[in-house]
Amino acid sequence: MKGKFSRKWELWAFLAPALIVVVVFYVVPLILTVYTSFTPLRNWNIQRYATRLVGLYNYQKLFHAIANDPSVRAVFLTTAVFVLCTLIVNVLGGLILALLTFFVDKKTNSIASTIWLLPRMSPIAVYGLVWYYFFHGSGVGTLNSIFLKLGLIDRPIAWGQEFIPYGPWSVIIFVNGLVGVSFGMIVLSSAIKSIPGEFVIAARVDGATDWQICRKVLIPQIKWHIMYVTTWQLLSLLTSYAHTYLLVSWRLVNKSYGTPWALYVYDLAFTGVFDQGLAAAAGTLLVLVGGLLGLMTLRILGFGKLMVEPRGDI
Amino acid sequence: MRRWLLVALLGVTLLLFAGIEDSIVQVGRTLEKNGVNEVRYAVWGTGDPNSVLRVLGIVEAARRINEIWAKNGINVKVTIRETRYELDFTQMYQEFLSKQPLGTAGDFLVNSYVYIAPLAEEGYLLDLTSYLEKHKELLNNFFASHIEVAKYKGRIYGLPQDTEARPFYIRKDIAAKVGLDLQGLDEKVLKGEFTWFDVYEWAKKAVQTGASEWGLIHRRGSAHPDLMQFILAFGSKLYDPADGKLVFDKEAIYKWLTIEWTFAREKLLPSDMMAWDWAKQVHPAIVDGKTLFDIGGTWYWTEWQTKDYYTDPKTGQMRGLKPEEVEQWFYYTLFPAGEPGKKPVTLSQPFMWMVSSKAGAQNPKYSALKSVYDELAFLIVAKASDPDINAIHSIISAHLPVGKPSAELLASKEWLDKLYNLQIDLDPGVKEKIAGIVKATVNPINAAFLSKVSYMLEYTNFPPVHPMYAKLSAIFAEVVDYVLRGQMDPAKAIDYAIGKINADLDLKAGVKIINDIPKDWRFGGK
Repeated sequence: MKGKFSRKWELWAFLAPALIVVVVFYVVPLILTVYTSFTPLRNWNIQRYATRLVGLYNYQKLFHAIANDPSVRAVFLTTAVFVLCTLIVNVLGGLILALLTFFVDKKTNSIASTIWLLPRMSPIAVYGLVWYYFFHGSGVGTLNSIFLKLGLIDRPIAWGQEFIPYGPWSVIIFVNGLVGVSFGMIVLSSAIKSIPGEFVIAARVDGATDWQICRKVLIPQIKWHIMYVTTWQLLSLLTSYAHTYLLVSWRLVNKSYGTPWALYVYDLAFTGVFDQGLAAAAGTLLVLVGGLLGLMTLRILGFGKLMVEPRGDI
Repeated sequence: MRRWLLVALLGVTLLLFAGIEDSIVQVGRTLEKNGVNEVRYAVWGTGDPNSVLRVLGIVEAARRINEIWAKNGINVKVTIRETRYELDFTQMYQEFLSKQPLGTAGDFLVNSYVYIAPLAEEGYLLDLTSYLEKHKELLNNFFASHIEVAKYKGRIYGLPQDTEARPFYIRKDIAAKVGLDLQGLDEKVLKGEFTWFDVYEWAKKAVQTGASEWGLIHRRGSAHPDLMQFILAFGSKLYDPADGKLVFDKEAIYKWLTIEWTFAREKLLPSDMMAWDWAKQVHPAIVDGKTLFDIGGTWYWTEWQTKDYYTDPKTGQMRGLKPEEVEQWFYYTLFPAGEPGKKPVTLSQPFMWMVSSKAGAQNPKYSALKSVYDELAFLIVAKASDPDINAIHSIISAHLPVGKPSAELLASKEWLDKLYNLQIDLDPGVKEKIAGIVKATVNPINAAFLSKVSYMLEYTNFPPVHPMYAKLSAIFAEVVDYVLRGQMDPAKAIDYAIGKINADLDLKAGVKIINDIPKDWRFGGK
């Protein structure tokens, strides 16, 4: 009896640090966000507004805006396109890079990996500035000046402001895709490296091509890692806005079609009239959608199978 | 004669501030009795590169208060621990708003008066009314209209720091090339005989004949405040005091957007104007003579002299303009009437010395001595409003003075000479910081400019003090951008803007939509 009791405490002691972190940094802010969405909090005046309650008024305002404001509808559409397309770039791009670097020698591998890691290592403002000047809509822009010199265009093009909505979508997906692809590359590269070399050698002896090795040996072995990268990136993209914020605020891309929902939440809270109550309602909606999408992804990718205990006969 | 004028001015100033000095002494004695020997404050200011006295004026005021205390044997000192100056006034406001509740914002904020409404509404600003009732003589130092805009719900929350007009600049050399006679043009503008219809014709001529690359350059980024002048120039208004609502006049806005649309379609105005860079595109295009017309502000006049926007054709190097060049190249008038039968306008956005309601919170015994720290903060902005500080700010930044004593100082050549040679009573650190700007800007040409543009204040308007104004002007900026880029025609842009107003329940309640899109109105004979 005593042994069982102390075993239970040992388990709690082991889990406690992680649980405390989860509760303090995830659960409490979530509860505060939901609570704030029922208050008229604005202009950071917590002392004045935090204890007043307005019921569902913020949700009413939010759904009224979604139903009537063309910009908010554009934000909705942008979020779907941005998350889906960038996710494909991040996961597929990361997988392709991981596979390519597996087949090259170590030195080339580390050089290539470092180059792809640069966007993640660069400070956000510096990285944003690079693409600001690259896509700038005047002749000052790198892309425009190259195309003008090659005679492909006869006037500078505002890439993120013209060809609405595809122009702004292309720019934000490109910029965020480059940042995210390195994450997939690192996780999947290390997963591939952990596959016993004998598998690949045996496949080579049997005459398998590189493509067959990828398809039949490597990818099946790292499917759980691919699932992890997909789910992680999906949830990250839903809540990421830092790079996009800079591109929109510098007017490189169109405000409506360059604003994903997370940036819209930020705008509500930190610009204009600083409506933190409304922002909290929009944030709560994002959490709900994120949670649902996360669960759906895990189900589609077979998370249940990963959690099944090993049969013990291997 | 001028010497006597200066002596008389000094006498009046001393008399005005005698009451202030008494209060300074009393506050100093109270602090000393409570064992406080040093009081620290931070000042946050914002604006164009030459308006640094918006923060350094507080440093100078602190020095003057320290001198008064030393003279009276009071062992207390004011130290300005932080002088933060940023160019973007909106961003500075946002940062103040988010940090004030935490007590980490500046103790003083120097920013546009339009922010008084939201800041005062939240209780973030010190109500100065009772101090000004005690020192009524100080109020006489300012123009009454500027004190009016410092009020929110009948209480005064700021002291005017400066104001400006928004002249319509015309390049004289390009005007000469296309045959635009500038002789007496300001009078024609004043009488409404030269309107935006004429601006369009001359802009077209300048571009079509190759005299200039563009016909017109205006502000970037936001519609507030420069572009809002179009609404006023078409005889409308931004705010109706009768019901306290913002006004969205479909007719005036349609006409404004039609001008933007027409100018951009005919390549008289860049279609990506709202995304231009101030330092790399906007100002260089104006000073390099690439546009006939420009909607600007009085402060452009000295900013062009102190910032390297001009590419010298002889050396190929970028440099600031000389005062003589600015005078030789730029003509200025009021913002012309939108169409025949309407009146010209200008718009002012006075900047204010504002005091945080938590001023001095980082000082010893704050809870017990809050009222003393509050009063001291008020006395600092009162001293920062000394006429000479205000006059120096005006001449070096080309902003208009907010009171008669400072305006009179600007008219004194003797005083200007002393300022040019820095033979004035100023903190050495402040002197050092403004020395370069003083050398570049203090001269009779700039003083004459300020004097000549002062008449514009008689035609000025003020943006509305309304908590929803920021949201509405953001919508204007968005639709101007769409119209310039050709993504919406003016009628569609009006529908879009109204859709956005109605989609926001708070904004919908605060905005009144009036009039209709005119059916038979044609711009420029089209």
